[in-house]
Amino acid sequence: MENLGSYFIFIGGLFGFTIICVLIFVLMSKTEHLHQLQAALYKMKRSFNELDEQAKLIVKTDLELNKSQEESAKRLNALDALQKASRLISTTLDENEIFHRLEQSLITKLGFEKSIVLIYDEVKKLQKKVSWGFSDDDIQFIIGDIEKDSSLTLSLAQGHTFSSVKAPLQRRETINRLFNVEHFVLTPILTKNGIIGLVFVGNRSNAAPITEGDEELVSILANQIGQSLENARLFEEVFRSSQVLESKVQDRTKQLASALEEVQTVSKTKTEFISAVSHELRTPLTSIKGYASLLMTGKLGNIPDQVRDRLEKINTHSDNLVKLINDLLDIARIESGRVEMTMRKVQLAHMIENVRDLLTPQIRDKNLQWELEIDPQLPEVELDSSQFERVFINLIGNAIKFTPEKGAITIKAAHDNGWINIEISDTGIGISEEDMDRLFEEFYRVENPINQKVKGTGLGLSLAKKIVEAHNGKIWITSKLNQGTTFHFTIPVKQPGHDEKR
Amino acid sequence: MATSIGIGFSREVDSEKAAQDAAIKAKINHEDSIDFAIVFFTVHYNPNKLLPIINKILNKPRMIGCTTTGIILSESIETRGIAILTIRSDEMKCGIGSVNNINALDVRQAGSILAKNSIADFGQHGRQVFLFFADGLISNNSLLLKGIQEVFGNVFPIVGAGTSDDFHFQETHQLFQNRILTNSATGIILGGHMSVGVGGRHGWRPLGKPRIIDSVEGTTIRTINQQRAAGLYEEYFGEEAEKLRSDRLGQMAILYPLGIYVEGSREYLLRNAVDIRKDGSIVCQGEVPEGSEVHIMIGNKDSCKQAAWEAALEAKKNLLGKEASLIIVIESMARLKLLGRMAFEEIEKIQYVFGKNVPVIGMYANGEICPFQSVERIKKPHLQNESIVVLAIS
Repeated sequence: MENLGSYFIFIGGLFGFTIICVLIFVLMSKTEHLHQLQAALYKMKRSFNELDEQAKLIVKTDLELNKSQEESAKRLNALDALQKASRLISTTLDENEIFHRLEQSLITKLGFEKSIVLIYDEVKKLQKKVSWGFSDDDIQFIIGDIEKDSSLTLSLAQGHTFSSVKAPLQRRETINRLFNVEHFVLTPILTKNGIIGLVFVGNRSNAAPITEGDEELVSILANQIGQSLENARLFEEVFRSSQVLESKVQDRTKQLASALEEVQTVSKTKTEFISAVSHELRTPLTSIKGYASLLMTGKLGNIPDQVRDRLEKINTHSDNLVKLINDLLDIARIESGRVEMTMRKVQLAHMIENVRDLLTPQIRDKNLQWELEIDPQLPEVELDSSQFERVFINLIGNAIKFTPEKGAITIKAAHDNGWINIEISDTGIGISEEDMDRLFEEFYRVENPINQKVKGTGLGLSLAKKIVEAHNGKIWITSKLNQGTTFHFTIPVKQPGHDEKR
Repeated sequence: MATSIGIGFSREVDSEKAAQDAAIKAKINHEDSIDFAIVFFTVHYNPNKLLPIINKILNKPRMIGCTTTGIILSESIETRGIAILTIRSDEMKCGIGSVNNINALDVRQAGSILAKNSIADFGQHGRQVFLFFADGLISNNSLLLKGIQEVFGNVFPIVGAGTSDDFHFQETHQLFQNRILTNSATGIILGGHMSVGVGGRHGWRPLGKPRIIDSVEGTTIRTINQQRAAGLYEEYFGEEAEKLRSDRLGQMAILYPLGIYVEGSREYLLRNAVDIRKDGSIVCQGEVPEGSEVHIMIGNKDSCKQAAWEAALEAKKNLLGKEASLIIVIESMARLKLLGRMAFEEIEKIQYVFGKNVPVIGMYANGEICPFQSVERIKKPHLQNESIVVLAIS
């Protein structure tokens, strides 16, 4: 029994020992597992913390990125706004329009809560031109304070810009209080003549602080305003001067027009007078000449020689007078447009030859050399032959008259691009420059020994000029004293607006 | 004609001219009187000058509106201007309401008042959606939403926007008929023979390890992981909470909001930090559930555009095969900040889904309300941040 009891105790002890061993083993194993879990948890916590640290880095980087992106976007917007504002104000030369456009730009595009543009007037007082976010009383107060602050106005006049980013603390606080803003830029408007005004922009809200970029932007804008105002003022000055000039030109033109009208009236009256008088003179002259000729025939009885001489003089002077009157009448008719030109195609060479035949006795008397240089290809020219022949007669007649014996007369005619250029040259006594200017005036006669001997009307060249001009041509003269004279004239081959007749 | 829609926009500098220009354009499409108008305008305009002119030209229709950071249009995004949506319809019914001086009231009760006022004007027609604009500077618009939900029910489609003032966070306006309000909310119920589809997404992703919000008081998070809540931002931004507050916290917080994991949701619920108090607690724009998991969130342009596309798809799906005739977009101003010049690409994504011919109008908000992405079949509206909400109307 005792052994049996010991046996059970032994078995029980062994079992207990085994259980204890197992428990110890399990405990050890669990402890090990726990350690492993703790290690894993530690690793996990560490990873979490590392991830969190990474997240912090990400946030900081993201924050920086956002800030720089915001700044870039703001810069881009500002540059865009500046470009638009600059374009707007630089495309007008009206000072008021500049400020009007500026107002729109400052408010809508640049996006500042408050803005003022002040410009100095003629007496150097600041005047409001643009304002946003300020009452009139505010502005008067601000202007008064700025004008009183000599150090501020001096700094601005020297070109300094003040901003909430860079201005010294005391100055910043003064401006903050004066304009009732937290963030601002105050910059001068400068031109080459110095300061002409101020630009202020500002924000009250801390949500919209001013940056260095804003400061640059507003400074550039102020420069642009300065340039635009300078341009506008220059333009205004030029415009006013041009208006004064234009007004003067208009006045003078009116005076000239009035004078011209007067001259034309006088000229017309003169022409009409000459025409009337010439007509009235010609009739009795014809009678005088007729009676003188009748008396000279002796049909009314013999007349003494002395009387015959007197009658011949009456006849000759009557002829001269009739010629003078005829010339005057022709000039008057041409001037008044009452002469209708009968344009026909004419060979100039033939016309010149006819004139030569007419004047051959005089040419021969003075033993003058006659030279012709006429282009054989010269086309037929549209002209009134009876009128134009008088031009040649007058000019060649003059050449003969003023050329000494054994001299030469040269006639040239050439075609040039629809125009006929004619020259009648002589080797005569020539004409002084003063006389050349007046040569085509009616009744003007050059004072020289020949003219003193040979009487003339002083109407020949004037008539020639009128006839050439009536053919849409021009006439002029070149001459050298004692060397000779050349009359140049040019006429179109075909008269404009004239149908060909033959 | 059953329904006519007009959208007028003007960027004239002068308030009166802009109002006149936009109102005349908004009126062009309508042969008869206008049933209702919704007005969005940027802070550059004086509402006292706008409202009388708009009312006069549109002949005093039912009208609500608000200030915004930007205006969304079919052709562009505008950061300055006035936009007016006008609708005349035989089938569509509407009713408008408002509640004023919300901070002086119990905010939740204010929400109820807004909803009840709107229903009183709407009458007994079938309701489809409630759209409202509440002052974005109200400390807890979640409560306002709860008040509204008490009237409409938890699953009724509600779309809302916190009115914004171009990141100034100073004063926003709400328009109701001929009144200019602040610290208020205005809303419109749409219903009758019409359909609506709502879709909303944000596209922000969680960053870093999760933390636990262990102490909350309303919209204020006191501690995260048993440390002062502001420590989270300090850790990530490496700057003191005080500096964060003075140095454009508003903008930083909207770019990196807090993301709260909500059990059963497909997306994180985002919360903007609107203030950091001296004791280090973070004041959020909406309520935050205590004990929830929180992350700092991050978004980028691609994730934003993807979210816009998904929101549009969801809105289209919810239209149940009907063709959209108008798209109203309520979008966080944070997205405008993030996307910058690319902001319109989100609208292009929406137009890709609905077609370019469907008129689009919208605004950038400070806090958006729309059905939250959850696994539930019928989704409950929540106040959200950084999101884009697409309301398609057929």
